[in-house]
Amino acid sequence: MSPLFIALLGVMLVPLLVATWRTSLWGLAFQGLLMAWLAYRMQPHPTTPSQWLTLADLAVLRGIAAPYALHRVLRARKVPARHDLIPPNLLSWTFAFGSVLVASNFAQALVPAPETEQNVVAVAVAGIMLGFLVLATRSTMFSQMMGALRIENAIAFFELGGEHHAQLVAVQLGQMLVFVGTIVLYRWYLGSVDEACASLGDDVSEVTL
Amino acid sequence: MSVFALILVPLVASLSLLAPGVRARASLLLVGVAALVSVLAVRLAVGSDGAVLLAGFVRVDATSRLFLAVVNPIFFGISIYVWNRVTMAPSLRDGMGRFVALALGFLAAANAVLVANHLLAAWIALEATTLAAAPLIVRPGMSASRQASWRYLLFSSVGLGLALLGFMCVARGVQVGAHAEGVLLDHATASASGASSLWRRLGLSLLLLGFGTKLGLAPMYSWLPEAYDEAPPAVTALLAAVQFNCALVLLLRVLQSYRASEPKLVAAVLVAMGLISMVVSTFNIIASRNIKRLLAYASINHAGVIAIGLGLGKTASYGLLLYLLSNAFIKAVLFLTAGKIKAHYRTKDTRRISGLIKDLPYSGMFLMVGTFALLGFPPFGSFFGELLILSALVSSGRFLVFAAFCVLITMSFVATGRTIFPMIWGEAKEKHDWPRQTLLSASPKIAFVVALVVLGLYVPPVAQALIERVAASVEGP
Repeated sequence: MSPLFIALLGVMLVPLLVATWRTSLWGLAFQGLLMAWLAYRMQPHPTTPSQWLTLADLAVLRGIAAPYALHRVLRARKVPARHDLIPPNLLSWTFAFGSVLVASNFAQALVPAPETEQNVVAVAVAGIMLGFLVLATRSTMFSQMMGALRIENAIAFFELGGEHHAQLVAVQLGQMLVFVGTIVLYRWYLGSVDEACASLGDDVSEVTL
Repeated sequence: MSVFALILVPLVASLSLLAPGVRARASLLLVGVAALVSVLAVRLAVGSDGAVLLAGFVRVDATSRLFLAVVNPIFFGISIYVWNRVTMAPSLRDGMGRFVALALGFLAAANAVLVANHLLAAWIALEATTLAAAPLIVRPGMSASRQASWRYLLFSSVGLGLALLGFMCVARGVQVGAHAEGVLLDHATASASGASSLWRRLGLSLLLLGFGTKLGLAPMYSWLPEAYDEAPPAVTALLAAVQFNCALVLLLRVLQSYRASEPKLVAAVLVAMGLISMVVSTFNIIASRNIKRLLAYASINHAGVIAIGLGLGKTASYGLLLYLLSNAFIKAVLFLTAGKIKAHYRTKDTRRISGLIKDLPYSGMFLMVGTFALLGFPPFGSFFGELLILSALVSSGRFLVFAAFCVLITMSFVATGRTIFPMIWGEAKEKHDWPRQTLLSASPKIAFVVALVVLGLYVPPVAQALIERVAASVEGP
């Protein structure tokens, strides 16, 4: 596995261990930027509008705009720094690392060759499984957002591994608009809580954040 | 051109609400646009199949014609309900501009789902309906409704994300990429048959799980009772009768395109999801004492029946179509009636509502008729639909599923009747002085009930031909 893929796995795993909401957003940002870098490596000289849109989607939208938009709303609400994405215990961490191993084996079974495509599938599946791990173990709104965004990023990454000779710009633009709409709604949910936002660690059912 | 008008008219009307002058007449605009779009949809339905338009993105076939003619008139009925509510309770006018803008955006996206010939374009439009509906669920000052809205958005995003992944897996199997011909309905069937088996099976499973989530099928159904319960009644009706059908059409498209390549997998997954949904919903119906939650669980129950019908294909297809068309009208009638009842009694607790047939004769009657249709009594379409699905279960040799189906339907039948019938015919617990219900306020529900009876007794030849064509397209090998 190349250093880029290892780095991508790293930015998926580190926010699960370093428990602050800023780390979660940095993880999301690096994920987007690394995916863009990988997309660039796969198509070194983008010429078509579709290729440029892919790079813009990954780097600008997922790597910069989305994390920044969420960061702004959380900073404005003066949310305490501490925030666990998964429960901080050995069982959760075992599940997290186990998911990466399972994803790797799954990719080997699904894509015998070539190695790059196999790695794309492995990292994408790991991203989806880690996203589901976050969704399954946390009930706070912010954690669930991070879980859902991780899954969406992993799906976007999986798309990079497919054949791309006939992408439709309109469809790509539609998908980007849906992502923008999702982030706008996420900001609205995070920003429209009535009660003072004491902690992102509170349960959804209590503070509704 | 009327195909594009179905999308553009509500979209432009939605954007026009940015102007304060238009916002003041928002409810009238909603009714006007809904009426116009309904007329266009019915005109399209009685016409013939259209050509492929807009570089292959749009095509009006039997499926889109049938569902356009169901979804748009239901939306029109809901708009009359909203207009009447605003007239009766002027305090509701404050948030009407926002509500109407989102509802019209929702309608434009819903129509786009129905006429899309490109599976990913339809997926994007379905996501757009979700993004428009999520804020509509939120009621100002009600934190529980915001939670419900968030759960709805989360589950929808994840479910539709899985469906997108499913499209990519199927497309990867045919080695053409997710954006290429493999997702154009015109070419999908041919592409799917050439797909690598592993990718195709994985993709199809993800598609069924993803769209199953949007339909409220187990295992990812828990968003539905909460969202249906907390949303305003008009929004619940939109979700249950309009968006449900849009998601269903997309699932029908998937089956039309890919079923033939993996018939056993499709049948096994759909029947399992349907049966589990029925089990879960039946026990929740037994436990429920909240009228809207009870109806929400009944919706999951119906979704389960529909999934089983879809899984069976073949002889169940015609019955399935009758059942799901009836289901749209039943939900519209029942959720709008539940809203009316809640507005009067100020409670959703079924134990505190009694003597409806005397207190609110129209609402009592609609609840009665809707419940009979919900439970599959004759002469409603749901009765014949359920009967045909049951008969298909027997003819396909699935006797265990047949037995479980009968037991679960009987249990939900008894539980629903035990809760709802005392509300209708019980002694009134408190004396209330209700304002008189006008015929106009009841007219959408009367129209829905007429549609329900028509589906059971006499289906007009045009509709009959459309239903048969759609049934043939989903029946599989």
